[in-house]
Amino acid sequence: MSDITKMRNIGISAHIDSGKTTLSERILFYSNRIHAIHEVRGRDGVGATMDSMELERERGITIASAATNVKWKGYSVNVIDTPGHVDFTIEVERSLRVLDGAILVLCSVGGVQSQSITVDRQMKRYNVPRIAFVNKCDRTGANPYRVKNQLVEKLGLNAVLMQIPIGLEEHLEGVVDLVKMQAVYFDGPSGETLRYEEIPQELVAEANAKREELLDTVSMVSDELMEAMLEESVTEELINKAVREATIGLKLVPVFMGSAYRNKGIQPLLDGVVSFLPNPSEVTNKALDLDNNEESVILKADGELPTVILGFKLEDGKYGQLTYIRIYQGSLKRGDELINTRTRKKLKVGRLVRMHADSMEDINEAYCGDIAALFGVDCASGDTFCHPSLNYSLTSMYVPRPVISLALNPVDKKSSDNMAKALNRFTKEDPTFTTYVDPESNQTIIQGMGELHLEVYVERMRREYKADVETDRPEVAYREAISQRADFNYTHRKQTGGSGQFARIAGYIEPLLATEEDKDYEFVNLVKGGVIPTDFIPSCDKGFQIALQKGTQLGFPIVGVRAVVNDGSFHPVDSSDQAFQTAALSAFREVYEQANPIILEPIMKVVVEGPTEFQGNIFGSINQRRGIIVSSTEDGNTSIIEAEVPLSEMFGYSTHLRSLTQGKAEYTMELAKYNRVPTSIAEELRKNYQEKRKAR
Amino acid sequence: MELHELNALSPLRAFDESLGGGLGKGNLGVLVSRHGIGKTACLVQLATDKLFHNEHIVHISFSGNVEHVINWYKEVFRQIAADKPLKDASAIYNEILANRVVMNFSQENISIEKVLGSLETLIRQGSFNADAVMFDGYKLTVASEEDVRKIKQFALDMRLEVWFSVSPVRSNVEFDENGVPSTIYKYEDLIDALIGLKYNEEIDKVVMTLVRHEGISDPKPMRVTLDPKTMMIST
Repeated sequence: MSDITKMRNIGISAHIDSGKTTLSERILFYSNRIHAIHEVRGRDGVGATMDSMELERERGITIASAATNVKWKGYSVNVIDTPGHVDFTIEVERSLRVLDGAILVLCSVGGVQSQSITVDRQMKRYNVPRIAFVNKCDRTGANPYRVKNQLVEKLGLNAVLMQIPIGLEEHLEGVVDLVKMQAVYFDGPSGETLRYEEIPQELVAEANAKREELLDTVSMVSDELMEAMLEESVTEELINKAVREATIGLKLVPVFMGSAYRNKGIQPLLDGVVSFLPNPSEVTNKALDLDNNEESVILKADGELPTVILGFKLEDGKYGQLTYIRIYQGSLKRGDELINTRTRKKLKVGRLVRMHADSMEDINEAYCGDIAALFGVDCASGDTFCHPSLNYSLTSMYVPRPVISLALNPVDKKSSDNMAKALNRFTKEDPTFTTYVDPESNQTIIQGMGELHLEVYVERMRREYKADVETDRPEVAYREAISQRADFNYTHRKQTGGSGQFARIAGYIEPLLATEEDKDYEFVNLVKGGVIPTDFIPSCDKGFQIALQKGTQLGFPIVGVRAVVNDGSFHPVDSSDQAFQTAALSAFREVYEQANPIILEPIMKVVVEGPTEFQGNIFGSINQRRGIIVSSTEDGNTSIIEAEVPLSEMFGYSTHLRSLTQGKAEYTMELAKYNRVPTSIAEELRKNYQEKRKAR
Repeated sequence: MELHELNALSPLRAFDESLGGGLGKGNLGVLVSRHGIGKTACLVQLATDKLFHNEHIVHISFSGNVEHVINWYKEVFRQIAADKPLKDASAIYNEILANRVVMNFSQENISIEKVLGSLETLIRQGSFNADAVMFDGYKLTVASEEDVRKIKQFALDMRLEVWFSVSPVRSNVEFDENGVPSTIYKYEDLIDALIGLKYNEEIDKVVMTLVRHEGISDPKPMRVTLDPKTMMIST
């Protein structure tokens, strides 16, 4: 199995409820990984195999991305199941990092929904080639043609039908393969036997027209096919080759269709995966050389080169601690020695396994391009492991800042211990989930990307770690900032017998420009003539950083500050690192008020989708919440409203929205930006914070 | 420079002047030309100028892609701010965005009642005090007279200034020397300002002609033109 051209790493990305888990289940079934089919919300109480967590089973959604390996017609396909909910975006993005291709699953009735747009945007960001699968063609109102048009119009993809349906809704019988020009039916109790026949008479004209469309579309991006068409020498191989090249080159999205639930169309989709999605050697992956100024280096999918591995996912399951890895370069054997380039710690490869959704298989060796899992490795997700001769780090993944926090109160000592264990695990698994102990209230605070994100972890603590915790109201993660320049000139002097302390620093603080908003802090050293010795400069920097950790308005971190030091003085005996650090810290605190501090709040991009009849209610609900309506799109009976709403106003929105729309609207949200809190609200926040402090 | 300084220097002042100080609320204005001349760019610049004056704008499109419209605004703002270095540009941009809503109707042949219904919902239930509405790519040439009357009445009732960008639907339409297709004239009584856009090769500019204004058809060239490359209005 070391033939890299026969390897595929794919993800399945989709809107919630578009039938992704059912599809994954069928893929496992047809590739003989499992021997019976379970439904997601199954009557048999077993649940779909990909949903490995109990909680996911109960809610009918997949939260953690499990990787599983299947074989299809001599190909080795690693399927990485990705979560559909936007609150778990980091999970989706981390999966996308290790994927070489993806199946974008769409519901034939719902079509391209707001979440499909989010997921597609993420795939674009990571340049993931994709094929589309229009699922649920057996549903009332199914229309794969409409979905294909939406892929073109709403997502701007060059989508092309590879098949047309034979019958729709409850009459769905199979599909017509537009390359082979054959009808495909799925016989047997679970659709495992494929029967190829001539295209039904009534579909011949339609099939010819759509094949024509397929050829036209593909020839626009393939000169070779264009020439063949002119010479009338088009072959099946040539079409497949052209579609493959265009798909990998991100110029085309082939569209397949069927119904996972009715066991129709899955095998041709798997054929599509191996035919049109790239093997690991066809994708360019880069790493940063930490020994060479983080110069970017291209990794080669060559098993003979030194090994480079990404640990992309940690799981603490019934088998112990597992680290899912992707091998980007070189290969991996049991007993190999690797180095974690973040911690510089060495490790020896012990047990190496290939994972199925809920079981595993021991292997001795894993090859370049492959996905596998290691046992008992102490690391955080996103760590890079290299052959000891290299010091590479795979490009840091984009990690959004947490926007919401929640205080936890364990009910007893045992729960408190278990909670600590759980938090230790979760923070390693998920970089968007962070935790700290508030020194004032002594409460444990967790932070994350949304209400649901934190709720799921609290649930997992209860279920998997038996940590019974009560929670306070969730709180918005505000930021503090300055709005104007303020000069400082501060002398720190202390004489308490023994050696004294002396440091003077002068300069100014000023807000970073909006164009630099990705940066939280910048330190500029303009000291001339050694009035502050070079050795003490880093201490000044450190002092400012400590000051920024907690602002005096609300106790939140201060962001967007440039601190400039341009003068100072020192004492040959009494000056020290400590003295300069304290001087910088105090200098900042002293001028913070003069810099006209402001409060920033997270603004969420909220997308509400629902029947047009409720549009007024939705507009009203956004308006009530200090929201700004950015746009509304009406398509038939559905409206999609995009708005920007402060996170602090979004608590309880799902309940409110449900009651406003008889449960017919849904919404997604993600962080858009930080904006200044209106003055009246800022005053209120400051007042509350001061009162809370006094109360303690 | 400050926003009010930029506003004073804007080529849109000359545009408004040609219309005797602007189109005004309750009135319908039409920008018409062949495809690809720059009507949308023009419409977005009219809207941006209004946003700079703290007015509220609804931009109605029929394209199915909101992102596209939003990018037009971004690009027009970027060009304006680059041309005349605006102080606190990004803060101003954020501020004006709060006063703009893009409404998009992707269904084919949507009725004007539905469009106006949604607009009224936004204005009333969404508490959005619109001052002007930009109809981008509305098929005015094939609309019924009844439909145009409804829009006019709506503009009067809701106190709105309404602008259309119009291209003829059929390809075999004749254009006159000002870039105006014959199919538009049937509604001329309902239109308060009709502006034709036409590319002039000699000066390499898109020239704008006020073909009809306040009930009088007496074509007058406007003092502003459009750069065919940047699609920006200038004097």
